Amino acid sequence: MGVDARHTATVYGRSLWAHFRSVVEYPADFWVMATTGIFWQIMSFGFVTILFQNVNAVGGWGYHEMLMLVGFLAVAAGSPALYWDGIWSIADQVADGGMDYRITRPAPVMPQIATLHIGLQGVGEVPLGAAMFVYGWIGAGVGLGQIPVALLLFACAAVIQVAMYTIANSANFWVKGRVPVFGFFLVEMQNEAMRFPLPVFPMAVRVLLTFAIPLAFASFVPVEILNGRASEWWLLGPPLTAALLAALAVWIFRAGLRSYDSAGH
Amino acid sequence: MPILEARSLSKRFRRPDKKSGFNGALKHLVQRKYKNFTAVDSIDLEIDAGESVAYVGPNGAGKSTTVKLLTGILKPSEGTVRVMGRDPHTERIANAHDIGVLFGQRTQLWWDLPVEESLKLLKHMYRVPEAEYRLRIERFDELLGLGEFMPALARTLSLGQRMRADLACALIHAPKMVYLDEPTIGLDISVKDRLRAFLRQLVDDGTTLLLTSHDLADIEEVCDRIVILDEGSIAYDGPISELKARYITTKAVHLILDGPADLDALREKFPEYEWAAGQAASEAVATYETVRSTTAEVLGHLTARLAPRDLSLSEPDIEDVIRRLYAGELAK
Repeated sequence: MGVDARHTATVYGRSLWAHFRSVVEYPADFWVMATTGIFWQIMSFGFVTILFQNVNAVGGWGYHEMLMLVGFLAVAAGSPALYWDGIWSIADQVADGGMDYRITRPAPVMPQIATLHIGLQGVGEVPLGAAMFVYGWIGAGVGLGQIPVALLLFACAAVIQVAMYTIANSANFWVKGRVPVFGFFLVEMQNEAMRFPLPVFPMAVRVLLTFAIPLAFASFVPVEILNGRASEWWLLGPPLTAALLAALAVWIFRAGLRSYDSAGH
Repeated sequence: MPILEARSLSKRFRRPDKKSGFNGALKHLVQRKYKNFTAVDSIDLEIDAGESVAYVGPNGAGKSTTVKLLTGILKPSEGTVRVMGRDPHTERIANAHDIGVLFGQRTQLWWDLPVEESLKLLKHMYRVPEAEYRLRIERFDELLGLGEFMPALARTLSLGQRMRADLACALIHAPKMVYLDEPTIGLDISVKDRLRAFLRQLVDDGTTLLLTSHDLADIEEVCDRIVILDEGSIAYDGPISELKARYITTKAVHLILDGPADLDALREKFPEYEWAAGQAASEAVATYETVRSTTAEVLGHLTARLAPRDLSLSEPDIEDVIRRLYAGELAK
């Protein structure tokens, strides 16, 4: 009896839904976290707007294109908090032996871990990020015909984000400790670097962020495609990157599980 | 045919080899050295369907590691495990349907969800039909008093409630083979009694049980067979009754005399017994070897000569036997 995709999806969906119902039962927690996400996106909007009161372009990109970029990034990087946030608990689960129970259940371990909690900041981040993106889209004059492409690119970006978070957190199977250092590093790098178009960086950084740690495919490249700055061949990039990273994430997570030696011998 | 078979099962862990203190940590940072530690050392174990086996040993003997090897959590360094013909590590998902696991030191409840939600999630995970699920919940409520805290969040439960809920989680899919690692740790006497009665009922219903515990009352009340582990190897494997027969070779007569017990005089008069003071000044305890004298002979002899006001018999309990086995006082 191997992995049953339908059963896995059911387990994942039910666990996520149970947690969502649980968190909305605590209105204070819900609103504090949601407001944090909203505040963070207002800050991003304010940053871009103030920046463009002083400059006309950043790396050749105008105000509305920058809003598309920042909005796309907010949706792509913020949405996994709503459906894959538990992956940040790998470090804790490894340190205190919490994986033990997950391994003895008849379902894949990764979705069990990924649904251990929900990051409610996503409730604020995602709609505001989407609003910024749409505002930038209209201002940049991107046509409605690009909507299907945008949906595909959002889906790919979400997979890329989920895979990157999974890979970074899986490092804690080997790097023992309760702090997901690689995960934090990834988020920090994304927040700092990916809010700007890649042309502002030296070539080495551009190559690094496109091919070595392919964060560019989860924000910069999709927006470049949508506003017509990249040739249509680049459209292959996000789906291929998403597929490769998803496979790599599964492989690394499984390798981590194989090396897991529990706690307390 | 055994439901569980382990052959030459070993597990080694790699541990940092460093000196204590800051200097030791700093040196280890630049010059990493490790040493191997054998937690389980070439164990052979067979458990037949319906057996209830106590797996005991001192702290660090390898009990929990064995359970993790048998449940597929850990991959053996050497040897094989088969549970109902499957390798629990490589055939993890198929094996999971047939086993139930409880680690007393950890919970499998979803921390932020009501107990009822955790059980429902497990119901879906194990594909338990609704009618069977309801029947089992009713039974758990009857035997474990689950109903009183079903709507409570896991993080608000007392230890006893948490353990009862965890037991229900481990058994919600009616597993054939159940592993319980310290299921009564930290519980008060009334909850322990309730759990033991429940486990006994489970065994009587045909479930195969492997139980690790430091509480020997758990073992005597729930299990028929005992496996004693010491430093990663099996020191004894057999029926509990045989363990007692093999190692409990002495009995003691507690005599309440008319006046204060004069142990020196008693030793001189009855050198064939080992004499010790009892709890009261007038109590003397005579220990004798059961292979040399029968209880009737000893009682006849002592009552005729000492005319005690009262007497009682005692024998070392299983805890004492295991303690002496750990200490190396008894031949393994």
